[in-house]
Amino acid sequence: MNNRYSLRKEPLFDKPREFIKGIPIIVWLLFLVIIPFAFTIAMSFYSSKGLVIEKSFTLANYIKFFTEPIYPRILLKSLRLALSVAVIALGAAYPVAYMVSFKLKRGKNLLFMMCIIPLWVSYLVRIIAWRSILGNRGVLNTILMWIGIIKEPLTIFLYNRFAIAITLTYITIPFVFIPVYTSLEKIPKSILNAASDLGANEMRTFLNVVLPLSMPGLITGFIFAFVIALGDYIIPLQLGGTQGIMFGNLIWSQFGFSFNWPFGAALGLILLVISVTILGLTAKYGSTEGGFLSE
Amino acid sequence: MSRLSVEAGTEKRGTILKVYGFLIFVFLYIPLVVVIVFSFSPTKTIVGMSGVTLKWYKELARDAELLKALLHSVEIGVLAVVISLLFGTSGAFFITRVRFPGKGVLRAIILLPYILPGIIMGLTLLIFVRSLHIPLSMLTVLMGHVSFTTPIVLFQVSSRILRLGPTYKMAAMDLGATPVKAFIFVTLPMIRTALIGAALLAFTVSFDEIVISYFLTGTWMTLPVYLYGMLRFGLSPKVYAVSGFILALSLSLILLMTRYIGSSAEVVVPRKKLIKASR
Repeated sequence: MNNRYSLRKEPLFDKPREFIKGIPIIVWLLFLVIIPFAFTIAMSFYSSKGLVIEKSFTLANYIKFFTEPIYPRILLKSLRLALSVAVIALGAAYPVAYMVSFKLKRGKNLLFMMCIIPLWVSYLVRIIAWRSILGNRGVLNTILMWIGIIKEPLTIFLYNRFAIAITLTYITIPFVFIPVYTSLEKIPKSILNAASDLGANEMRTFLNVVLPLSMPGLITGFIFAFVIALGDYIIPLQLGGTQGIMFGNLIWSQFGFSFNWPFGAALGLILLVISVTILGLTAKYGSTEGGFLSE
Repeated sequence: MSRLSVEAGTEKRGTILKVYGFLIFVFLYIPLVVVIVFSFSPTKTIVGMSGVTLKWYKELARDAELLKALLHSVEIGVLAVVISLLFGTSGAFFITRVRFPGKGVLRAIILLPYILPGIIMGLTLLIFVRSLHIPLSMLTVLMGHVSFTTPIVLFQVSSRILRLGPTYKMAAMDLGATPVKAFIFVTLPMIRTALIGAALLAFTVSFDEIVISYFLTGTWMTLPVYLYGMLRFGLSPKVYAVSGFILALSLSLILLMTRYIGSSAEVVVPRKKLIKASR
């Protein structure tokens, strides 16, 4: 442009010396992310003969995944479970976020903290807690027997899909709460007043104003819950029993007793592609700040 | 409908919402309470619980293996924090203050180790280190931890830098400070609380981490990995005592953290000092 009043055009790149700041993070990225991923991709094209990994290019691992029906079936089962976990977590977290954001005058910060504290409390301790609640001699059985609803302890609570789902929901609730709450807090209260001045009741205001405006946070939370639930392997291992073979522990077993690293690498990359695709949706439809790592 | 009844209806819905919220809070906290109660229980079940005991906690103090694992966790946490403060803080300045195209993509890739399911980072790093014939050791566990603590620091610090804006540093340099001096005397004090908050958060996450560590651990175990091993023999009172201990430590760290994270302390602190000074 030769308009001399136009703003000075910003250069695309800064001076080279500025890039010194970028060296440490690029080194980190290379050695802990990019190169390990390159090795994993290579590994997924190798094959395993007993305990030896044969380094010749083959598509066998991917073919194995798509042709033996058991593997896509496990993936599908995990996708379904992750979907229901994300829906339930959203159903639990959204109303609470709405309440904390709109209904409270005092104690808002305290309740906000109380919602996210479980997020930072040891993941393994929370799993142990659920095992002790759902177990044979667990809290739930004890209470039911004490009330008199049952006479003998029930074994239906632990080591099945229900136990996995409830624990995963428990783990993911704070992940949904944070982005939903952040997006609700961003809604200017004047818009709500405007809606009520125009005669909308609370339900109508919610459906026509609050819900659409909080949609980015809702989508982000939902997606985070979904991806976390899909990729977990310790919860299925600890609470799933024989019913609980999910995609995560299928992958884990390739590195454990099956000792088929090339197949495990292929399964891991399939999970990676699914996760990145779904997470990519947050960039398009979700809120840019998930609110976990930005203050 | 009269205005009064509309308000009454809203009130009612508000109550239902509050009851629902209360139940969700119960759901969130009951499991934590259960762990704590069990850790003080003299018997294995809650039915016959009579009184409280510190027996199990005392037993922990005598378990040399456990104490070793605790020490390992602290070591890993501190090392991971120090390393990720270097990588993360410099990276935060790079990503917020330096102009280059493709920044969004870089941000997204840096975030990956934190938001991807831990199993993916665990297996890629395992394949990487074993391909290079690096034995599973403290080093491999540390690599795993630095992979997710660095994004924590980077994003905590970069959101603080973005909020501050570049004007302070410019002002300092207009007043004759060199870039290094401007950083040490102007920028660093302003991001200090973000650094402390990020360090505490990174340490907490590192201290609790198992999903990635489990892939990268040989015989050198952190506390969560050791606890996971204990679970093979079922839920013993000792498992609850370790859990109770981890819970107490996490909660203390979180409470400490709230003093630093998300508060624009830079704005508040000087003002308080001013008030004190004027009195």
